[in-house]
Amino acid sequence: MKPSNGKPSLWAELYPELGTEPIPTDRCFSPEYFAQERERVFKRVWLKVGRVEEIPEPHDYKVKRVEVANTSLILVRGDDGQIRGFHNVCSHRGNKVVWGDDLCGLRNRARGRAFVCHFHGWAYNLRGELVSVPQAELFFNLDRRANGLTPVATDTWNGFIFINLDPDPRQGLKDYLGGAGERLEGFPFEQMTRVYEYYTVLNCNWKIALDAFSEAYHVATVHAGSFPGVFDAAVKQVRMYGPHHSGAAFQKPAPNPGPVAKLSYRLATSSIAKPGSRSSLPASVNPERDPEFVFDQTGIFPNYLIDVSDGLYFTHQFWPLSIDKTLWEGIQYFPHARTAGERFSQEYGQVLQRNAWLEDTGTMEATQIALSSGVKKVFNFQDGEVMLRHSYKVIEEFISRT
Amino acid sequence: MDTSLPREFSELERFIDQWALPAQSERESRRRQTTPREREDFYEAVMPRLEAIIAWLDHFPLDAMPPEAQRLLHLILSLAEIAPTVELYRGSATVPYSFDETRFIAVHGDRQD
Repeated sequence: MKPSNGKPSLWAELYPELGTEPIPTDRCFSPEYFAQERERVFKRVWLKVGRVEEIPEPHDYKVKRVEVANTSLILVRGDDGQIRGFHNVCSHRGNKVVWGDDLCGLRNRARGRAFVCHFHGWAYNLRGELVSVPQAELFFNLDRRANGLTPVATDTWNGFIFINLDPDPRQGLKDYLGGAGERLEGFPFEQMTRVYEYYTVLNCNWKIALDAFSEAYHVATVHAGSFPGVFDAAVKQVRMYGPHHSGAAFQKPAPNPGPVAKLSYRLATSSIAKPGSRSSLPASVNPERDPEFVFDQTGIFPNYLIDVSDGLYFTHQFWPLSIDKTLWEGIQYFPHARTAGERFSQEYGQVLQRNAWLEDTGTMEATQIALSSGVKKVFNFQDGEVMLRHSYKVIEEFISRT
Repeated sequence: MDTSLPREFSELERFIDQWALPAQSERESRRRQTTPREREDFYEAVMPRLEAIIAWLDHFPLDAMPPEAQRLLHLILSLAEIAPTVELYRGSATVPYSFDETRFIAVHGDRQD
């Protein structure tokens, strides 16, 4: 059955395997459940850890802390241009090799030809090979070839760098992304290099944060300030792709925009609030070219959202730090403005979206505290919360896998 | 500090000190530090000239603007920053019913426009 813009039926009828029953809330505050998510979900799937533009040249690297796996990673572009990933742990006595991996890995970029551990000076080249050991003659049959940095499965898709912490991943990245990757194929991600990046630590379970960005039901209330009467409160064009899913958001023309908003929309060539002339959507996104389309969201299981719009995209990522602490990274990607008019319009749209994200994140910590009371045993999801329902089901499937 | 603007926009020079800020994080802080009246005063003065300003700025490439053009660009980027407080949030400096924005870390915040 082909879902259509008109939303003729319930998503529950199109995806009966997801069921309609309420979902237990303890999945967001049970320590046992969190331990299972850590071991059976996050350590077994492909996780996005960066963009190729962050390390554009040979010898560029970044470090990324991955708390959910108690590790830190080095992502480095070698002489050959290839990007490789390593656990940031010295083979000598387990010290962290590259320091400065503060919480948001987005900022921890550098360039070099070797990684030298500050503890005793063991040095590794950009392929992770152990190339220098001070006082090597005092070690006992040290096998250098077996004592390089521990590699982590690393691959790229459309400029997104992914890693898989499973020492023997069951699928390659392309197979893992499957239809979700195909849906976004052809979007010019590489042209959107004007980047606005935010992060914060939210005192809530990672799924509370993810869920709040995965439905359109909240827009009339949560976004009454920044987008009054603008967005359609229904998610459309929902598709499931294995563990991933997509859905699209639509808008009506703003009923009463202020003068600055109005001018910004008119000048826009890329704005969340006004699609424009830098048309960039592949045929698979908004296939019917509905003029009220705003953005198409693809949830890459488990913790990454890619939202593509006409002439820009934005992403959200939710990294569990503990059961009730989440590192959220929200990034907006635009093409570089060519004129002052475009620049102004981009700033207005970008600022307004930041404001909307402040509205979105505003509910999360209160939700966590209220839920932790244990008073409410279930979430009552409506039909439009189908993508949340899907994620909870997929997590269950991963946890029950042997 | 040089606060001069092109002659046709010289009436806006009184806003340069406060609002011609090259980094977004500065513009954000200024929004929070000002009173609703200061923001509205700035908005009411610049908004009617916005189209003319943009038309004038569009004569220059974005990466090679003379200083007075750059000041004018920074001025209207501040307008973009505060316009929602006037047009949408009834004068409130911050977004109503929202997360504490000082906890949002903008990695790009100190980039100079």
